[in-house]
Amino acid sequence: MFFHIVLERNMQLHPRFFGRNLRENLVSKLMKDVEGTCSGRHGFVVAITGIETIGKGLIRDGTGFVTFPVKYQCVVFRPFKGEILEAVVTLVNKMGFFAEAGPVQIFVSKHLIPDDMEFQTGDMPNYTTSDGSVKIQKECEVRLKIIGTRVDATEIFCVGTIKDDFLGVINDPAAS
Amino acid sequence: MEISVPVRKTVVLEPFIKLVRTVARVFYDNYTTVSDNQQKSARTESRGTAVVVLDALTRRQWVREEDLAKDLRVNAKQLRKILRHFEEQKMVMRYERKETAKRAKMYSVAVSATTDGRAEDNVKLHTHSYCCLDYQQMYDIVRYKLDRIKKKLKSELEDKNTVQEYGCPNCKRKYNALDALRLISMEDDSFHCENCNSELVVECNKLTSKEVVDGGDNAKSQQQEKLKLLLQNAEVRLEPLMELINRVKDLPVPNCEAFPAWEARAAKAARENGDLNPNDPSRSQGGYGSTLMPFLGETKVEVNLGEGKEDVKSEGGDPSQKVLPPWMIKQGMNLTAEQRGDMRQEEKVDGVSGGGAELSDDKKSAMGNGDDKDLKDEYLKAYYAALLEQQALAEKANQQESAGDTELATTSSDRQVGVKSKREEEDEEDEIWEEQVPAADGDFQVDLNVEANEEDEDDGIDWQEDSLLNTD
Repeated sequence: MFFHIVLERNMQLHPRFFGRNLRENLVSKLMKDVEGTCSGRHGFVVAITGIETIGKGLIRDGTGFVTFPVKYQCVVFRPFKGEILEAVVTLVNKMGFFAEAGPVQIFVSKHLIPDDMEFQTGDMPNYTTSDGSVKIQKECEVRLKIIGTRVDATEIFCVGTIKDDFLGVINDPAAS
Repeated sequence: MEISVPVRKTVVLEPFIKLVRTVARVFYDNYTTVSDNQQKSARTESRGTAVVVLDALTRRQWVREEDLAKDLRVNAKQLRKILRHFEEQKMVMRYERKETAKRAKMYSVAVSATTDGRAEDNVKLHTHSYCCLDYQQMYDIVRYKLDRIKKKLKSELEDKNTVQEYGCPNCKRKYNALDALRLISMEDDSFHCENCNSELVVECNKLTSKEVVDGGDNAKSQQQEKLKLLLQNAEVRLEPLMELINRVKDLPVPNCEAFPAWEARAAKAARENGDLNPNDPSRSQGGYGSTLMPFLGETKVEVNLGEGKEDVKSEGGDPSQKVLPPWMIKQGMNLTAEQRGDMRQEEKVDGVSGGGAELSDDKKSAMGNGDDKDLKDEYLKAYYAALLEQQALAEKANQQESAGDTELATTSSDRQVGVKSKREEEDEEDEIWEEQVPAADGDFQVDLNVEANEEDEDDGIDWQEDSLLNTD
């Protein structure tokens, strides 16, 4: 699920950026630092949408670096148990398959794949129904439901299922 | 009747007892104190003891475990093991304390008037434990158990929303699907153990998955069928239990006090009516309790005594021998079998006044002043006959309720007079009371002696049912 929230961060800026572009430098550094990171609490920071306030800088003794407390608005993505996501299959093996929904990695184990789909080894390992009409392989898109998440301080990993109504392959690039 | 009198025993409604018995048979039928690796013959021997113990406990309140063992003729050690198990299962309350041998003796031997055992020269302490059914908690526990069973079966059946588990065959380390990213190796497609790098296998501790892994799709669907059947079976089998639970839901839970409180009460009750049946276990406890009671607060005793005095005044008899007032008789009360059968009918016909009023009537007839009693009987017979006719005409569903209501209004009013006048006579009786609960169907002639003889089990029963009726 996506959220638009306000976060705060203390930015350290090198003295060489002090000048009339200080604010721009600060913001671009903030974007470089923060976007794409993941915190267990808020999820993945997708994009910074604006700066709320930049506090007074504090010069560090000895180094000359200045610390600015910056409040910024950003879009975060955090997967939840029970959430339905669309994801791209990245790896298929006999244990199940891995998929990615943006920054999130999701694993779907074999027993959470419908019973009529069989694993096929080969050049392009895949899961296929007995009549061959549906095929899950690398690069195809699936809709899945998250049934478990592991949230570490800097990492989120999910386990999903496609063994439910309206879940499964939604677009197979190889077929089209 | 208006004073709440101290009683030796709380009323345990019949559905609760039935619930305990059912639970015992459903859940603890196979329970043995013998562990699996022991002899199979030993296991079958001890099988069912748990059920017996629970059944016995429904007939008692607090009881010392040694006594229980003696009554049931089981090994005390085995009994203790079972009781400990039940305590863990929250079915039973236990209370342990150290007692001098003297006191212990006083408990077990029914010491009648010789309760002057102040000479505590024997100070050797033994730990004695007492146990009692905990109805409130048991009800909750059973509900919880049923809920868990259902949930488990359901999740097994659906086999979804479960995180797959993996285990290392080498080092027995367990992983689950959430670790998948770390476990996947680039060389081959399978998962590898972080410790020993051996290939992980799918763990299946579920009922279903074991055969699924072996058998493939066909086995899987078969397994599903099997599970569905299992679920249905479970529902059918647990149906009686569910019904009982539903029935018990609206009934007041018999309150079980802690052992010291109960003991104090029992002791007091016993002290007040010194001429009680000497074999009554509560009696012996009376003697026991009137000696030094380390757990009994001073104030508590005084308050109780005060109550007792009032009781004596108002009743003119011992408090434990009271008639159960009509409004105390509720649906599902514990009465003896034939009494219950007849009781049901009577309650339908006679409404609330059933218990007390009938009781006194029976009494009357038994004691021989049957003149106006006969008149009454005749009147009632005619009345009921008319009513039955009326009922037959009425619609089935409404019939019972409406009929019951009207009778309730009429009969109870003219019967009540008799009740009151008869109370004193009853109190003087030394008979065991539970036997005299109405057993008549149409006419109220009951042979008291016959009935009284029927119930000659151990005194646990007498005691319980006896006090059932004495409860206020």
